[in-house]
Amino acid sequence: MDAIGILNQAFVGLSRTVILFIVSSGLSLILGVLRIPNVAHGSLYMIGAFMAFTLSKLFGGGNLGFWMALIGAPCAVALISLAAERGIFQHLYEREHLMLILLTFAFSLVFGDLVKIIWGGEYKSVPVPYMFQGFVPLFGGLPFPLYNIFLLACGPIIAILLWLLVNKTKIGKIARAAAVDMEMVGAVGINVSWVFASVFVIGCSLAGLGGVLVAPTVSVTLGMDHTLIMEAFLIVIMGGLGNIWGALLGALIFGLTQSMGILVWPQFGIIFPYLAVVVVLLFRPTGLLKSTW
Amino acid sequence: MGLIRNSPKTKGGTGMKKSILFVAFVAFVFGIGVWSQTGHAADTIKVGIVDTYTGPATSFTQDTLDGFKLAVEKINAKGGVLGKKLEYTTRDEKFKPDIGLAMAKELVMKEKVDVLAGTINSGTALAVSDFAKKEKMPFFVFYSKSEKIIGEKGHKYVFNMNENTEMAGRAAAFALAKKPYVKYWIAGDDYEYGHAIAEAVWKNLQKQNPKVQKIGESWWKLGEADFTPYITQIMAAKPDFIIVATGGSGMVNFQKAAKATGLVQKIPFYQHTANELGTLLPQGKDAPEGVWGTSNYFFYYPETTANKAFADDFKKAYNRYPKASAFVGYMTAQFIAEGYKKAGKVNTEAFIKALEGLSLDSPLGPLAIRACDHQLELPTYWGVTKKDPKYDFLISGDIQVIAPKDYMPTCQEVLSLRK
Repeated sequence: MDAIGILNQAFVGLSRTVILFIVSSGLSLILGVLRIPNVAHGSLYMIGAFMAFTLSKLFGGGNLGFWMALIGAPCAVALISLAAERGIFQHLYEREHLMLILLTFAFSLVFGDLVKIIWGGEYKSVPVPYMFQGFVPLFGGLPFPLYNIFLLACGPIIAILLWLLVNKTKIGKIARAAAVDMEMVGAVGINVSWVFASVFVIGCSLAGLGGVLVAPTVSVTLGMDHTLIMEAFLIVIMGGLGNIWGALLGALIFGLTQSMGILVWPQFGIIFPYLAVVVVLLFRPTGLLKSTW
Repeated sequence: MGLIRNSPKTKGGTGMKKSILFVAFVAFVFGIGVWSQTGHAADTIKVGIVDTYTGPATSFTQDTLDGFKLAVEKINAKGGVLGKKLEYTTRDEKFKPDIGLAMAKELVMKEKVDVLAGTINSGTALAVSDFAKKEKMPFFVFYSKSEKIIGEKGHKYVFNMNENTEMAGRAAAFALAKKPYVKYWIAGDDYEYGHAIAEAVWKNLQKQNPKVQKIGESWWKLGEADFTPYITQIMAAKPDFIIVATGGSGMVNFQKAAKATGLVQKIPFYQHTANELGTLLPQGKDAPEGVWGTSNYFFYYPETTANKAFADDFKKAYNRYPKASAFVGYMTAQFIAEGYKKAGKVNTEAFIKALEGLSLDSPLGPLAIRACDHQLELPTYWGVTKKDPKYDFLISGDIQVIAPKDYMPTCQEVLSLRK
């Protein structure tokens, strides 16, 4: 394999990284601030994809449909997560993690059945918006899908927005403080409860956004949450619990080892990302970057 | 007070309360199952269906059930079977063999079903088949594709109502052997179905065309969402043809990625069921043209009155076109009914005997259950995806019918697998 092939494969891996980063940064944000290991995060990703299907169809399936889905679906997921947070999670922040895992797992089952009731068992497909259909010969004539280029552009935008949110906004600062010492933040007169709700909603919307972005490249189907939640948790653990830059690093490692692994050894390409997780955890058991836990 | 609080009597009291609560809870949980139970009257023939009704497989299993239901309604409208009503009850095995087996047992022991049917899950099918063998209970396999069902693990009480991986592989090899391709790449889902399909195609293709050579393989995990990195790598290796062994939602995922990367214009590829409605319908007009596939049922081919009648009936009842799995459900109910009619009584041994070699008119013409191994003899349709102005999804074009005699393993081959 020549250098051009390797470069091409790396870019393909990077576009996968974008989706993984968006979803796992949301998971990590919630883990870091609220300390909830949200197993239902994958379900919100799935709901995002199904919402994208509905919205894209509603607006004619073309470019407009896609952009409406890109805005509307994460908003819908935000509403669902707001209801879940205000209704249930806000009462449970003090509980132990095992219980929270069970509870969010229960949520993932409930969401799975709700999706089946609302959208049915058929596979759904969201068309690639016209403007991103087709492919361009990128490196040495090897075709590269236009939609993946769009994904590559989305990654840095989301990362910058997240950085601004966490470092430059008031809510970001409070959230960071609350992650370190929740009681102290409450003691200085800040309504921690609503800060938590906002962080939860933002984190979940990221899952929804990931679902919308992935929808045109896959079949939208029940069970698409299961594979993803495993990968997202591994990425978050690899990067350091609660650290969104850790999520970025983890997603990069996961996406790139996968695409490069396929290049090296296509029969066993699957094992490389998991091997990377093992290696990382052997040498840095708490993750690559500083964990907030 | 202290004394009373510590007395064993009170302790027993709270313990009892707890256990009553527990029993009530258990009764509540399992009661849901018992609740729907109807008494088994002698004037019904009851079929117990165990299948996956949660997760991505639902896309196929719902059609099987609806096809089955359609046939049952017709049979009962015509007076049932031997003066009895044909009934069925379903259980969701959630794609888990242990749950499926427990449910099959429950259906036999508690619901007292006469016949078992079901499942898209090969693991469950094999587990239930083993149980059916011990219980001497007829079991009709709907839509799981393992060749072990009638091969290695086959027995007198199991019937396979759809094609298996070996059959699909032979049919594809039969068609591919006539093509000029030499350098093949094999890619697929890294689990039993994927490997079985790929191996069946490859093994039989090598036999029929010794010139072919395999230049590489890729295997991805089941449920892989993004095939782009795999496809770019395969394209760089420049094979003449790719055998893609995906199943379920992977079918659609691969086709979408094949379109986005332009693979489909560069290197032709084959997927079993690539040209089937289940794969093409969800993609609408966006599915790629030019993908080769094999399938065992199309609602639009052959264009006979019988096939049109079934497709119309199904569409009228459920407002959608029937997939191959709907056809399987539809025919299974009819074979059950006609088997009992031919036997003349509700007796398992007589029923099995009656089914062996039984041929029925179907939407595809006469179909028979082979006596030696209990495999339904289905034609296979080789074809390529293409757009059609009549439908807002792609259909199969260039259909080549591969007759059962051209691709089914012989009785001797199948029986030699049984030890």
